[in-house]
Amino acid sequence: MLRLIGQRLLAMVPLLLIVSVLTFSFTALLPSDPVDLIIGDRGSDEQYEMIRERLGLNEPFVTRYVTWLGRAVQGDLGTSFFNSVRVTDAVLLRMPATLSLTFASVLISVVVGLGAGVAAALRPRSWIDRLATFGATIGQAVPNFWFGLILASVFAVSLRWFPATGYVRLTEDPGGWLRSITLPALALGLSTSAAIARQVRSAMVGVLQQDYIRAARAQGLSARRVIFRHALKNALVPVVTVLSFQITILLGGALIVEQVFAINGIGSLAIAAVRQQDIPMIQGIVLVLVLVVMAVQLVTDIVYGLINPKARPA
Amino acid sequence: MRLSSVKPSTLAVVIPSVAVLATLLICAVFADWLAPYDPLEQSLMDMLQGPSADHWLGTDDLGRDVLSRMIYGSRIAVIAAAEATGLAVLIGVPIGLFIGYRGGWWDWVTMRAVEAIVSIPGIMVAIVIIAILGTGLHRAMFALGILYSTAFLRLARSVVLAEREEVYVKSARVIGASPRRILIRHIFLNIAPPLIVQVTLTVGAVLLAEAGLSFIGIGVQPPQASWGTMLNTAAAYMELNAFLAVPPGLAIVATVLAVNLLGDVLRDSIGRGIRVPAAAPKRPVQVRRSAGGARDARPDAQADDALLVDGLEVMVSPKGGAEVPVVTDMSFRIAKGETLGLVGESGSGKTVTGLALMGLIGAGGRITDGRVWLDGTDLLALTPKGLEAARGNDIAMVFQDPTTSLNPAYTVGSQIAEVLRIKQGLSRRAAWDRTVELIDRVGIPRAAERAKAFPHELSGGMAQRIAIARALSCGPKLLIADEPTTALDVTVQQEILDLFRDLQDDFGMAMLFVTHDLAVAADICDRIAVMYCGEIVETAPVDRLFAEPRHPYTSGLLSAMPHGANGTPPLPVIPGAVPTPGHWPEGCRFAPRCAFADAACARPVPLNGTDRMVRCVHARDLTLEAAQ
Repeated sequence: MLRLIGQRLLAMVPLLLIVSVLTFSFTALLPSDPVDLIIGDRGSDEQYEMIRERLGLNEPFVTRYVTWLGRAVQGDLGTSFFNSVRVTDAVLLRMPATLSLTFASVLISVVVGLGAGVAAALRPRSWIDRLATFGATIGQAVPNFWFGLILASVFAVSLRWFPATGYVRLTEDPGGWLRSITLPALALGLSTSAAIARQVRSAMVGVLQQDYIRAARAQGLSARRVIFRHALKNALVPVVTVLSFQITILLGGALIVEQVFAINGIGSLAIAAVRQQDIPMIQGIVLVLVLVVMAVQLVTDIVYGLINPKARPA
Repeated sequence: MRLSSVKPSTLAVVIPSVAVLATLLICAVFADWLAPYDPLEQSLMDMLQGPSADHWLGTDDLGRDVLSRMIYGSRIAVIAAAEATGLAVLIGVPIGLFIGYRGGWWDWVTMRAVEAIVSIPGIMVAIVIIAILGTGLHRAMFALGILYSTAFLRLARSVVLAEREEVYVKSARVIGASPRRILIRHIFLNIAPPLIVQVTLTVGAVLLAEAGLSFIGIGVQPPQASWGTMLNTAAAYMELNAFLAVPPGLAIVATVLAVNLLGDVLRDSIGRGIRVPAAAPKRPVQVRRSAGGARDARPDAQADDALLVDGLEVMVSPKGGAEVPVVTDMSFRIAKGETLGLVGESGSGKTVTGLALMGLIGAGGRITDGRVWLDGTDLLALTPKGLEAARGNDIAMVFQDPTTSLNPAYTVGSQIAEVLRIKQGLSRRAAWDRTVELIDRVGIPRAAERAKAFPHELSGGMAQRIAIARALSCGPKLLIADEPTTALDVTVQQEILDLFRDLQDDFGMAMLFVTHDLAVAADICDRIAVMYCGEIVETAPVDRLFAEPRHPYTSGLLSAMPHGANGTPPLPVIPGAVPTPGHWPEGCRFAPRCAFADAACARPVPLNGTDRMVRCVHARDLTLEAAQ
């Protein structure tokens, strides 16, 4: 298992390098001059040159990249062009809200998806099977931010069961955190849960036809035990792969759903950065998001190895 | 696709979908005529009104007519979908074709970049590209075009890679034709179907992404009316007029749903649909007891019977067809410690018989008649719970392919230990110790170590030994072995047969040995029951069956056995083919292939005799060829 983790970690290095090159080189593509953005039209030529020098813009591209990468590796993603906030600090400040939302929605989609998927597989064409299929079809078509709006207008504005906006930190008030995260997490998680339910269902239907299921039944093990111990573990193998993609999508969706519920996460930080063309901030956000995605992939790879012995390196 | 050949359920999807998209297109094209108001005309007197006769869908925060904005919004949706999807195809397909054809360095670099882009959440990629290009409809769609081009790039590349390896490309090289021309022609033929499907998927995704980007304010810019910007307004005025969120949201859902559903239909008609097996008909398993209570009494039961089967009948329902019998009038007995071979060609009902005894025929079949006693217990009268308790403890089964009958997700030891814990109530520790003992007993060296191996780490013979150890772990009275050596290497087969014999001496269980191979049966069995078309045609002790077959089918099987390695003279074969269930002759089922058949064979033939039983009206007057 340690070898597997080591292999995956090594495999991430080139991917991270490519992402860093891509994100860094897009500064060269920007139509506007960052110095103009910072000082506006009023700056003198000396000021202009001074800032250019300070930002290192006079250096060749490769030198700038290497400097930036060197600092990034040490956790320093530079300073915002606009309010001299350290990018690392800003991202770390906003990250917990986005990650809470993402993982709460992952939890919802996994719990609901697994339950509905197994139930659908055990009773093909039953109401729960139809509901999962219907939900997955609808779930693909409903913009989750709109679903969030509807949830907010029903459960927050009309019924007042949940706060309509805002995010409470888990460390401040766990109950308040749960209340603030429930609606956005449902908005994100439910549509994905239907997709996962369909995955679980088709994997489960396939596994239940396998010889080893009949062999386990032939040993006199109960249907419940065979389904939940013998079949489910094997059915989860393809589902874990899908889940890894889904988490990336949910992370992206979180950036938008945050706006519905006025959660100060990475989403609003990124939108502000785009509007202001705050290059270091955008670079930092992309890099950190990629790190999160890779961490998720690492975890799913480990889980994959745990439930699928064939995937472990010999 | 002719309409008459389309399933009604497909039409129920296609017609509304086409209607939605047609409405969308009409609104987009004729917006100037259809919209009752100017979508940008503000009227601060009428802000945030609900639906009314003047404003069917109400007004927004600036008093603009929502219906008119919806209609103009559909124009934006169509432009957005066309621009972004078109761009994605124009960027992705040529690059994909190029790197697929060129391969090498170009391919490697491009694919690594694609992987990097795909590892970032899509919306973030779009945000970054918009940061470079700036906001607004066309720029945002350019960004989405670049984002979704990766899907087309991969698709085009994979088509080229697949086609390059095709036979006709290689043969074109052989005959000296230009492979490039053939390749290009075939790529364009083959890329069309997946491309169409991908386009529908992309259109749906673009519509959702456009709405999302406009919603967060970096896509379409106000005052231009797009469904996404309208939702942005709705979010801001949610407490004052919640209805504002409804029309744009529903429009997005309906449009994306229509596109996706049409895409599904297209994909299915292209033949990539995954069909789900039909659900089993819900029918209580009912055992029909023969009239007159003849079978209520155990027919001449003997004290040393381990298994007594009387008049067993099994029916299966093939998909969409009527129920057909696969096993009929199945009667045999196995004494304690005895091995009965159940021999017949594939499809003769051997395996179904084994599964029926276990109560494991599956959803498609059921036992419709007969009785089964295992050491005096009526198995078919047991409740599902009772049968479950009997399985493993009293009756166990070894399957044909050991590599698929062991669960790939657990170590082999844990699979045996689990049975011991659940069925025998052993503690974790005791179960494991007993497991290692059993693995050692079935002849696997270094048992303690091998117990921790996963099935895929063992050879087929080794895995079958494990499966046997598991089946015998609770000391069953009857072991059903279903072709246990068929999937194994020839050199291993004999070892496994020896193991069975050895274990039977030790454990004393009765065995039902199902095989198609008479030589194997001769090796391991005491008696043999020959099956043909779902019924036993002859039962006899091994040596007498071989020396003096009574049924023409048995004789045919025996003479079809290979005796020497050189294969001369050529083996005689039984003429004709085995009829499939549902197509069995009314009378003797072997009659159409039998050299001795006459009018007397037109009626059903009972199984006659006591020690040796045979199902043939001519059994007494025939002299049949025996094994040489």
